[in-house]
Parts: sequence; C-alpha cells; structure tokens
Amino acid sequence: MIEIKNICKSFEGRPVLKDISMAFDAGKTNLIIGKSGSGKTVLLKSIVGLLKIDSGEILYHDRNFCQMNFKERKKLRQEMGMVFQGGALFDSLNVEENIRFPLDMFTYMTPNEKRKRVDFCLEHVNMSKANKLFPSEISGGMKKRVAIARAIVMNPKYLFCDEPNSGLDPVTSNTIDELILNITQEFGITTIVNTHDMNSVIEIGQSILFISGGEKCWEGTNKEVLNTNHEKLNDFIFASNLSKQMRDTLK
Amino acid sequence: MNYFKHIGDYFLLMLKVFARPERHIIYFRQTLKEIENLGLSSIGIVTIISIFMGGIVTLQIHYNLVNPLFPRYLIGVGNRDILILEFSSTILGLMMAGKIGSNIATEIGSMRISEQIESLEIMGVNSAGYLILPKVIAVVFISPILFILSVFFGLIGGLIAGPGAGIITVIQYLDGVQYLFVPFYVKFSIIKSLVFGFIISSVPAYFGYNVKGGALEVGKTSTQSVVNSSILILFFDLIITQLFFK
Repeated sequence: MIEIKNICKSFEGRPVLKDISMAFDAGKTNLIIGKSGSGKTVLLKSIVGLLKIDSGEILYHDRNFCQMNFKERKKLRQEMGMVFQGGALFDSLNVEENIRFPLDMFTYMTPNEKRKRVDFCLEHVNMSKANKLFPSEISGGMKKRVAIARAIVMNPKYLFCDEPNSGLDPVTSNTIDELILNITQEFGITTIVNTHDMNSVIEIGQSILFISGGEKCWEGTNKEVLNTNHEKLNDFIFASNLSKQMRDTLK
Repeated sequence: MNYFKHIGDYFLLMLKVFARPERHIIYFRQTLKEIENLGLSSIGIVTIISIFMGGIVTLQIHYNLVNPLFPRYLIGVGNRDILILEFSSTILGLMMAGKIGSNIATEIGSMRISEQIESLEIMGVNSAGYLILPKVIAVVFISPILFILSVFFGLIGGLIAGPGAGIITVIQYLDGVQYLFVPFYVKFSIIKSLVFGFIISSVPAYFGYNVKGGALEVGKTSTQSVVNSSILILFFDLIITQLFFK
C-alpha cells in the first residue's frame, strides 16, 4: 500500500500540486486521471522520488519515503518498477538485455536462472520470441510490453505506469490494460497508473483519483465514475459528443 | 553567476560519478565497451590527421627557415618536438573534443530526454556513475595511447612529405628525429593528454546529463559541450605548460 498525505509541489513559485492525499491499495490498479497539464506526471514522479516534494508525506507500507536517506531510498527502489510513457528502453541493449539489466545489477543469479526469469517475464507480456530484437526494431506497443516485462522482472511490490496507452491503437491499448490488471492481481502489486484514456478508466479503474489544476477533485471506482454528478469530472470524462450521446442513451 | 552554478553542479555530478559502483564487474564490462566505442574507433581519424599534420609541419618548417646555414636535419628535430609538445596532445585533444565529446553529450542527452536516465534511477542504479564513469575511465585510458600513435604517425607523415618534396633526405630526417631528444617532453605531454582526456569525457557528460527539452536542445548541448571542452583544453594547456616550464 502507498499512502500520500498533503503533498504540495511547486516549480519556481508556481504551485503544481496542492495538498493531495490518497491511499493506493495493494493488489488493485489505482488510476490517476486528469487533463494534460493537470499534474498527473508530476504527482507520479513525486511519489517515486524523481521529484522532490515541497511538503507532505509519502508512505510505502508505513515507511516514510521523504525521511529516508540515499541508501534506504536506493533499497526501496529495488522494490519498484516503472513503465515510462515512451517505454524508456535502453537503445544499446536488446530486449533480453533490457529485461535482464536489473537482475545483472542487483542479483547474484546464475546466467541460467536469469534467462529463465527473463523468459518468464516475456511470456507474461506475450513477447516470447523477441529476445534478440533491439528497441529500434519493435513497435510502440511492443516497447510498452517489454517495459512492463522489465518493470516486473525484480518481483516489485510497487508498479508505476505513466500513460502506458499513449500513442497506441485501441486493440493494443486494451492488451496493455489487461496485462497491467493481470500482473497487479496475480502478484498482489500496488499499481499506480497515470492515464487520460477513458477505456482504461472503465476497464481497470479499481480505484480512481481525479486531479484538476493540481488539486484532488474526486476519488472513487470505475463503477462510480459514470454516475457521478461531479461537474469537472463529467466535463473530463464526457468531453466528446460521442461519449455524451452514449451517456444520454444509457440514462 | 550562471557560470559559477555550472561549476558547482559539475563538481556535484562528479561526486556522484565517483561514488562506489553497484557491481564492479558491470562497470568494468561497460568500460571495455566504451574503450572500443570511443577509443578504438578514433584510431583511424587520428592516423589520417597525424600523417597530414606531420607532413605539413615538416614542409612549413622548411619554407619558413630557408637558410644555407640551417642544417637540414633540424627539420626533423622541429617536427618531432612540435608534434610531441603541442600538436599530438593539444590539437589532438581539440579534435577529440569534437568527435568523442559530441558523441558523449548526444548519447547521454538523448537518454535524458527519452527518460532512460530516470528509468535507471527508478531501478536504484546510480545513473551518473553507470553512464559517465566508464566513459571517463575509457577516454582517460585511451588518450595517452592516441597521443603516442599520433606522434608516431606524425613523424611518418614528415618522413613521407619531406623527402617526397625533396627538401630533406630520409637519412637527414631520421637523424633529426633522434637528435637532442628530451624524454621529459613525452612525459609532459602524456600528463597533458590525461588531463585533456578527463575534460573531453566529463564536460560533455555533464552537459548531456543536464539537458532539458527535446532533440533540438540535445543538438545545442552537444555544440555547447564541444565549445566549452575546447576552451577548457586550451586553458589547462596554458596552466600545465606554465607549471612544468617555469
């Protein structure tokens, strides 16, 4: 479980996150949704410690991340996996080497054990025969899947995904959502996903935090999100004419 | 003020770079890769430039010192000392700042904008150490070797151009190359090439590591890193020369 309490963050005096609190449960896909520029990525990067918050607390199973020293943070980070927007695979390494990288760096597994672990992760993301391909040789969706495989290779307790569906077609997007959901439930991971993909919200939003202008506006589940009367959330979710028509038809 | 901030940030980055590696064997393998990528791939260009440089210096010495009282073998002496003291260390350093420096700044800068550096940090890897330390060690290691190669091929260049242009015989040239040889000059230039190697690798790495924005900024940063490295090479050339020859 990850808990954030009263997080504030500003850039050069301009507040970007304003007093945000939320609890993200383990074994659930927790979504942070909001418009572009609403502060989703800043919040996610603050939670993982890539950005330093101005005030507030971040608790990983009651361990206060903000009070940890460099060594403690480094140790905790080995329990984290992150999927970046563009995949962030290392260009100079092939798929297998990319996934094996954390194992090489932090474990004393034998080459055979590492190979088995890499194959296991690749199977989980349906990329069994892509071991020797380089990132430049695979599609955007495949990159995201490899990034997910790399993120889970160390058996993380916490998984963070920054807009995993951006730039993907609806079918691939669904596949990625299913993968995230399955992995989260199978391994009991605390997963936080940043997204503005409405399909993801409906499909995998077991817990949703909606932020707007750096403020927490709403929290609930995918079942509640369609029936809420929250004006800003409705404006965001039913932004297109098609979705408005669908809502009216359903009503 | 901005300049002082850069100096401060540079030294803070170097502290991170020289922190204890997570796995020595991985850093060692990475260093070998960098020696191949940055060092061995430079041998060709160093050879070509040094041959032409040695040839041109040989011809220039002759054309500028036309005097019947001037012994011809001194052309060889001049070429050797010029190559050892300045051309093969400083000029080579400037050239390497362009080739290796821009390569390092672009590579690390691209990794920054594509979030690969953040990805390393999330894994708990010291990204500065993992990305920069092997490059610094590789370039510092390869610089004296490239310097020695450059002197050798520069002398070969003189040997081709001098007798080829009919200004000196092969015997006179080889006599000159061996005449009044001061081993200290080589030691001095190797020290210079070590310092230049550090500048060529660490300064572009600093610029690449701190790049913000997109592809356009990576390009600008690459240029900026080459300019700054070149200025620093000349500045340290001046200081080291003054320190060793005062």
